[in-house]
Formats: sequence, C-alpha cells, structure tokens
Amino acid sequence: MSENGFLHLENLSKSYPEGAQQRIVLKDVNASFAPGEFVAVLGKSGSGKSTLLNLVSGIDRPDRGSIWLDGRDLAALDERRRTLFRRRNIGFVFQFLNLIPTLTVEENVTLPLELDGIAVRQARRRAEPLLEAVGLLDRRDAFPDRLSGGEQQRVAIARALVHNPLLALADEPTGNLDEETGRQVLGLLNRLTRQAGKNLILVTHNAEAAGDADRVLYLQDGRLTVRE
Amino acid sequence: MVLGVALGVAVVVAVDLANASAGRAFDLSVDAVAGRATHQVVAGPQGLDEAVYAALRRDGEVQLAAPVLEGSAVSPQLGGRTLRLLGIDPFAEPPFRSYLGAEDGLPLDQLVDFLTRPGAVLLSVDLASQYGLEAGAPLTLQVGGYERQAFVAGLLQPADGLSRRALEDILLADIATVQELTGRLGRIDRIDLILPQNGAAEVERIAALLPPGARIDAVAARSGAVREMTVAFRTNLLALSLLALMVGMFLIYNTMTFAVVQRRELFGTLRCLGVTRREIFALVLGEALVVGLLGSASGMLLGVLMGRSAVRLVAQTINDLYFAVSVHSVAVPVISLVKGGLLGVLATVTAAGLPAWEAASVPPRSALSRSLLEAKARRATTRVALGGLLLLALGALILAIPTRSLAVSFGGICAVVLGFALLTPLATRWVMRGAAPPLGRLAGPLGRLAPRGVANSLSRTAIAVAALMVAMAVVIGIQLMISSFRHTVVAWLSYALQADVYIAASEMTGSSPMAPVDPAVLDVVARRSDVAVIDLIRAVNVDSPYGPVYLEAGNSADYGDHLLYLAVDGSPQEAWAAVRDGEAVIVSEPLAHRIDLPRHGGTIQLYTDRGPRTFPVSAIYHDYATPNGAVIMGLDTYRRFWDDAAFTAVALELEAGTDPGAVVQSLRETLPPTQRLVVQPNRALREEALRIFDRTFAITAALQLLATAVAFIGVLSALLSLLLEKRRELGILRSVGLTARQLWRLVMLETGLMGMVAGLLSMPAGWVLALILIYTINLRSFGWTLQFRLEAAPFLQALAIAVAAGLLAGIYPAYRMGRIEVIEALRYER
Repeated sequence: MSENGFLHLENLSKSYPEGAQQRIVLKDVNASFAPGEFVAVLGKSGSGKSTLLNLVSGIDRPDRGSIWLDGRDLAALDERRRTLFRRRNIGFVFQFLNLIPTLTVEENVTLPLELDGIAVRQARRRAEPLLEAVGLLDRRDAFPDRLSGGEQQRVAIARALVHNPLLALADEPTGNLDEETGRQVLGLLNRLTRQAGKNLILVTHNAEAAGDADRVLYLQDGRLTVRE
Repeated sequence: MVLGVALGVAVVVAVDLANASAGRAFDLSVDAVAGRATHQVVAGPQGLDEAVYAALRRDGEVQLAAPVLEGSAVSPQLGGRTLRLLGIDPFAEPPFRSYLGAEDGLPLDQLVDFLTRPGAVLLSVDLASQYGLEAGAPLTLQVGGYERQAFVAGLLQPADGLSRRALEDILLADIATVQELTGRLGRIDRIDLILPQNGAAEVERIAALLPPGARIDAVAARSGAVREMTVAFRTNLLALSLLALMVGMFLIYNTMTFAVVQRRELFGTLRCLGVTRREIFALVLGEALVVGLLGSASGMLLGVLMGRSAVRLVAQTINDLYFAVSVHSVAVPVISLVKGGLLGVLATVTAAGLPAWEAASVPPRSALSRSLLEAKARRATTRVALGGLLLLALGALILAIPTRSLAVSFGGICAVVLGFALLTPLATRWVMRGAAPPLGRLAGPLGRLAPRGVANSLSRTAIAVAALMVAMAVVIGIQLMISSFRHTVVAWLSYALQADVYIAASEMTGSSPMAPVDPAVLDVVARRSDVAVIDLIRAVNVDSPYGPVYLEAGNSADYGDHLLYLAVDGSPQEAWAAVRDGEAVIVSEPLAHRIDLPRHGGTIQLYTDRGPRTFPVSAIYHDYATPNGAVIMGLDTYRRFWDDAAFTAVALELEAGTDPGAVVQSLRETLPPTQRLVVQPNRALREEALRIFDRTFAITAALQLLATAVAFIGVLSALLSLLLEKRRELGILRSVGLTARQLWRLVMLETGLMGMVAGLLSMPAGWVLALILIYTINLRSFGWTLQFRLEAAPFLQALAIAVAAGLLAGIYPAYRMGRIEVIEALRYER
C-alpha cells in the first residue's frame, strides 16, 4: 500500500467519451491531504473539478490510478462497497438542489444516519445541534423549497456533517448564491468542519472562496498543481 | 398516455361493435325470414292449418301473401352447425324475399327439381363452396332428432352483401318439402302479408277471417319485442366498457398533470413574457386534444381487432340466452367508431381540464413549486374526501330512485365508484402514515422512506392508486356478483331439475329448438320396473301481449312443491294444486318483473289456440334460465287451450336405490332408433346448465381483464413519470450512500405499497359494487334476484392482483433508475 497522508491520490486519470473522441479530464493526478486539512481546488469551468470530487467520493471510478482514503483504495472497491463507504465516510454539499424535496429539513439532515440504520430518535438527537449551528432549528419541519438558496445550502452542510464523516466535499457550494450569503455559507462550512476536525475539500472557480483554505490546488489541463 | 386512451377507446369500440354486429345479425335474420312483409298471420306452437292460407287467397282478401314453415336442421355435410330450414312457396315469394326473384335465378331444371323432388333444398353459393358441395349433392339432415335425406337442388346467388349474410345459415326448400322433413304435414308457421300502409281496415277484415287461435300482427312490433330483450344485456356490456374508459380517464389526468408540473417553470416564464392565462389553458388543452386524437385513432383500430373476439362472445351469450343469431363477420359500423373516437377525445380533454387550469394559474416568474403543489394536494385531501362522501350519498340516493332505467342505475354506480375514488387520497395518506412505523421497524430507513415517498407525492400517487382501486373494485364486484349468481343457479338447479333422468329430442337449453319426442318412448319407459314416476313436459314458445314467452307445461304431481318461490298464494302445495288441477299458472320472476305483475292475485294473458286467454297466477318463482320470462302450467290446461298433444321431454323418477347412470345407459340402447334422443341424468343436465352459465360470463371476464390492464398501464406510467421527476432526488440519495439494491428495494416498496393500498381500498368498494350489481342492476336489467354470497377469494385475489400490478409496474422504472449513473442523475436538471 502506498499511503502518504490521510487521503492520497495516485496517478489518477479519467476521460469521458465526447463524440468519437475521448476527452481527458484528469491526467496522472497525484496529491496528498493531511488529517483535518481544508484544501481548496481552483479551476475554470469544465476543468474537471467536479470529476475529481466524484472520484474522491467514490461516486465515479477512475480509468487508472488509486484513491487511498483511510487506508483503503476506493478505486479498487466495487460499486456497492464504494456506496457503503461513501455512506459512512463522506459528506457532500453540491452546487444546487442538494435536498430531497419531499422530505422536511430535519428529515433531509437525518437521512444519512437513517440509511445507516440509526434509529430516528437518535438520528434526530444528533441532527439537532447541527441544525442549531446552521441556524435552522426552527425551520426543521419546513420543506426545502420553502427555504432560500442560502438556507438550503446550510441544511446541506448540516447533512454533510451529521454522520461524522472522514471527509467533507463541497462542489461550488456558493455558485448559486449572492456574494454575502455565499460568504456566510462558506464561513459556516469552514467553522463547522474545523470544529469537528474533519477534512474539507472545496472545489470552486472563485479564488475569494478559497481564502480560508489551508492549501489551494489548481486544476488545469487535467493536472493538479500545488501552490502553498 | 396515448396507450391508456387507446386501450380505453378500444374496449368501448370493441363492445359497441360486438353489440352492433349482434344487433345487425338479428335484423338480418328477421329480414331473411320476414322479408318485406308488413304483417304476419301467426298461431300457437303448432302453427296454422295450411287451409287458412288457401282460404285467404281464395277469398281474394289479400293479394300479397306467402306461407312460411320453419324448422332447424343440422347436417354433417354442412359442418354440423344449426341451420334454419325455411319452407316457402316459390310462386308467392318474389314480393317478399329476393333470393329466388333474381333475373339470373335458378336454371329451369333446378327449379323443377326444387318443386317436384322430395328433399330438394337450396343453399347459397357461399355456404356450398365452404363445404365443397355442388348441385345434386346429397345431404343428411337431422331434423327434430330424426334423420332425413335431402339433396342440394341448386345454389342461390345472393344479389348483394346483405342477402349473402342473410343466407349464410339458411336452407331454403319448398313448403311441402319442409312439411315432410319436419313431419308437420299440412301445417304452416305463418303467413307473411304485405298490406298497404294504412291498412287498419284490412287488418281487421283479415282478423275476422282467421280461425280461433290465429292472429294478425305487425312485423315491426313482433321483432321489436324480441330485440328489446337483449337491450339490458347489451347496456350492461356497454357500461362495463365505459368503466374501462373511466379508468383510462384517471390515467390521462395523471399524465396531463405530470406534463404540467414538469413544465411549471416554463409556464411561469411564458406568463412572464406576456402569454395570457387563457393561452396557456388552451395550450395544455390543445396538447390533450392531440393526445386524445392519437389515442382514439389507435384505440379505434385496436377496438376493431378486439371486436372480432368480442363479437363471438356476445353472439354466443345471445344464442344461449335469447335466440339464435349467426355472426361470422364483424361489420364495422362507422357510428361505433365515431362514438368511441369522440368519447376518447372528450374524455382526454375533460381529464386534462384540471391540469390545464393548474397550468394557467401558475403566477408569472414565481413558478409553482413541487412542494407547494404537494402541500396543496395534502390540504385538499380532506376536502376531496368530503366530496367523495357526498358523491357516495348522491349515488345511494340515485340508486334508491324506484326506476327501471338502467341509465339512472349506472349513473348511481358511477357516482359511487367516483366517490370511492375521491376517498383514495386521504385513505392513502392515512395508510402510509400508519405503515411507516411498522415498515421502518421491518425494513429500516427504506421502510420509512417508501411510504413517505408515496404520501409526499400524493398528487401523483393517489391518482394511480385510485385508478388501480377502481379496476380492482370492479373485479371484486363482478366476481362476487358472478359467484353469487352461480351459487344461486346451483341451488336453483337442484329445485328446477328434480327428476333423475331426462329424455328429450334435443338438448334443453334456452333457445334451442323444442322438437317433440316420439310417443313410442313412453311405451319403452313404462315397461321398465326401475322407473317410479314418468312425467311429461311440453316446452314451447307462445305469444303474449308482452312478446314471446317460454311456456312449460307439465303433469308432475309434485313438481311445483319444490320450486324456489318469490311469492306464493297459500302453501307451495296449494299453489301447485291450483296449477295441476285448475287453470292457474306460475310465472317466472323476470317475466313478473317485466310486466309489473303484483306479488299476489295477478293474472297473465297468453295467445292460445282458442284466442287470447287470461290465466290466474298462483305463484312467482325464481328462474335463471329464460331471461325473457317463463310460464309454468299444467299439461291438461295446456292441451285444453292449445291443439298440441306432443311433449318435449320425459322426466323420470327412479325407484329408490337405482343407479341413474345405468338407467341412462340401458335407455340409450332400448329407445326407438328412429329418433335421435338425448338421454341425460340429472347431473349431466346440471353440468350443461353451468357450462352455459360460465360461457355467458366469458365476455365479462374479458372486460374485467382489460380494465385491469388499463389500470396497470396507469400505475406504470404514473411511476415512470414520478421516477423521472425524482431522478435527481434519487441521485442525491445515491450520493449519500443508498446502494443500487436499496434503490431497487425502495422503488419496489413504494409501488408495492401503492398496489396494496389500492387492493385494500378496493375491498369495501368492491363489496358495495357487488351489492349494487346484485340487488339493483341485475334486478332492474333481468328481473333476477340473486342470493348474495360473500366469499373471501375475490377480495384476496384483488389484493394479490393489485400488489402484483404495483410490483410489476415498478420493475421497469426500478431497472431504469438502477442503471442511471449517479453523476448523470445529479447533473439532471428539471
């Protein structure tokens, strides 16, 4: 096992068919992340940022290379194992439409716990401090589309952290928000993950959003370059 | 969506076609027999003396008159089907029927054969070529149980398509030939007349010349009365097919709602750009119109195809119950297609009305959100359920109206069914709420997610559930009705068939010819020591002011003691004594119902050979064999009023301890070989009666299946559209750790739950439907009172079908969702 740090990406490559050709999105990407580190990945639209997150979360599989997370190579797991791994170890915040529209705020937050077989009552107990932390405890029974964009992202943050994951991933979480709200959401994400001592990988095209990161990586032409 | 409309329309068109074809076949056979006659001189079961015809002609009272003698014959050379043997006078015929009058009619030598040689019959070119027969070919005919030799004297070239179809089942012969073949020498059945339009005076003059027992009737009135009888049967079929269309309407509503909800943002934007509410309303309705047109067009095509098998089933039932019709081809009346098509388009547009209104009320820019819609739907469930209760009450009120109108009764049923359908959303919500905790304990988070998913998408799921519920309620209702009916018939048969062995010239079914039994049979059975009682039965169709009536005359000492009575004057024994020894008669329930006979002290008029006679009615009995009505009288009474000493069946009661099977076997060997007789033990007759019963309901079963198919497609399309909507949602679920197998289980759990709710709700609805069918529709349509019999099987079956339909409908959507890559689903934007 070649492990160097808490999360280690080794020669990661991914391409997608585009018409008759293959478009290479990631080419031999190598990177390591220390425990508790907040890393921002910057890149233009279409540079492969979301692909990188999908690979790291086990949603998608690389063409080549390995993803070592907590001592396991995600790329070597089958679909079901990756799903189960993701369920327990990854928290996700997407750019938009993060929530299950027919579940209430609280039900959305407790979902990862319930999927993992935790009793509703206990799940609610665990969700409560997080809902309070994101300032939405009083809206716990509301349905997602009664919330503003910023509020929805705050629910998504609570859900991403509720099951105490190894790693939180955020894909342009402020892409759909105004500047002020975006700043608040980012601040909350940063604060809560640091409080919980979790790793956070944030991908964005917005350099300002990467301001609080411990490290910023740049994704360009399928390669990840490090600038400390 | 198109498929749903198409199936609904197809069922309506198929049933309508079958009904129209059966009706047309009936008209053709009336035409074939009555031709252009305006009036007919008729008499009792034995017909008229041919001298009456001669007298009418001789007196110069009528210029245009033609005698007719009818029988039925079966020939192995003609495929063993029952053919009508039509005896005519070729010289009197031309003004009435055109088969012989064509210019290129029969060659002279064939005509001479036809008139002079015994056993000469004519048949159509088509019929002959179908069985490879040519002029001169010998034919063996079974007529009234006797074997007769005949031959093909010539072939008839039908002048047009109508005569071709009319001739499909006719053997034409000279009247003297038919007299010989049927053994009715010197008799004719009737005299066809063509009288001037305002011939009231002629009618009276002719009536005065007729012997007692003979009457003159207008043809239209006679055939109308017979045709009337099947109206109830056909209305019932049509109502059933409309039910399929109703289920189809749920489907259309569901799909149109989906089409609207899916594009609510587009409508919001359009409104923003200045499109008026009315224009959006028109846009959605326009779409519905296109769907309706497409669906109806394909439904019409499908309906014509399905009509081919439906027509066979309908014709079979009418044959069994009412009269012989032959329908071999489905004529496609344009009106049936137009009706079906129009209905389909109207149903589609009507069902789309609410979604269109919903679309038009989307405010500009702020799009109607899904959860708002769901919240609205949830709030509306109580109001909708109240509406459902109101409709149920309205339905009960409508059904309580004392009327014979089937349209009113079906209006009531419709209200009840819709009422139950409107209760569905609330019931679904309750059931899902109740199901979540136990399912959660059983199946973990999926067990909670699935019922919540159903309850949270009530605006879509409830309609699919309602459609399936209606279909299943219909299945339960009809099954209960049929099984109650069957049980009633089984119980009734044990009363109606009391003797141990029956001997008859032909099988004793509703409309089959009632040929007399050779009297020599009596000598054979009288000599037997194992026969305790010999009863004679004469079954005939006699005329009455209410149309033809089945009359059964018997001389049994105690037959009436054991009948199943609806109303009886005094004890059954007293009532039967009044029949056996006096002139009283017993009337069947359907007939009593039809002519509004009072329960006690009623009378009934019949046309006897001594003229019209009124008979006192001593009892009304349950009867399920003859929907047009039956009268039972004493054999002595019958013979006093009709010049007819023949008998149709001999019923034997055996000495105790005798094996009926053995008696039947030895009777078959010892009975006179001249006539082919049917000797059946009680049990065989019972089985035969039940076989006919089951065949009668074959079309009902087919229609039920179609309603279920429509509902199944409804659930499938609702689920597919639901899953399309939930694509991103399922993507998120997958991203937070739902495995592919769990997704599969989630979908199946949701659809299975929907099926289960539909199945559960269909139970009370089906039970109520069965009660209405049994106590209102059957009574009003046919005058049959059935004994309601509650059975568990139809309920369990409906529940199983509903759950299976739900699960089956879930397979494809679950398969599709399982294959969608998570990223793809996450990228999916609505």
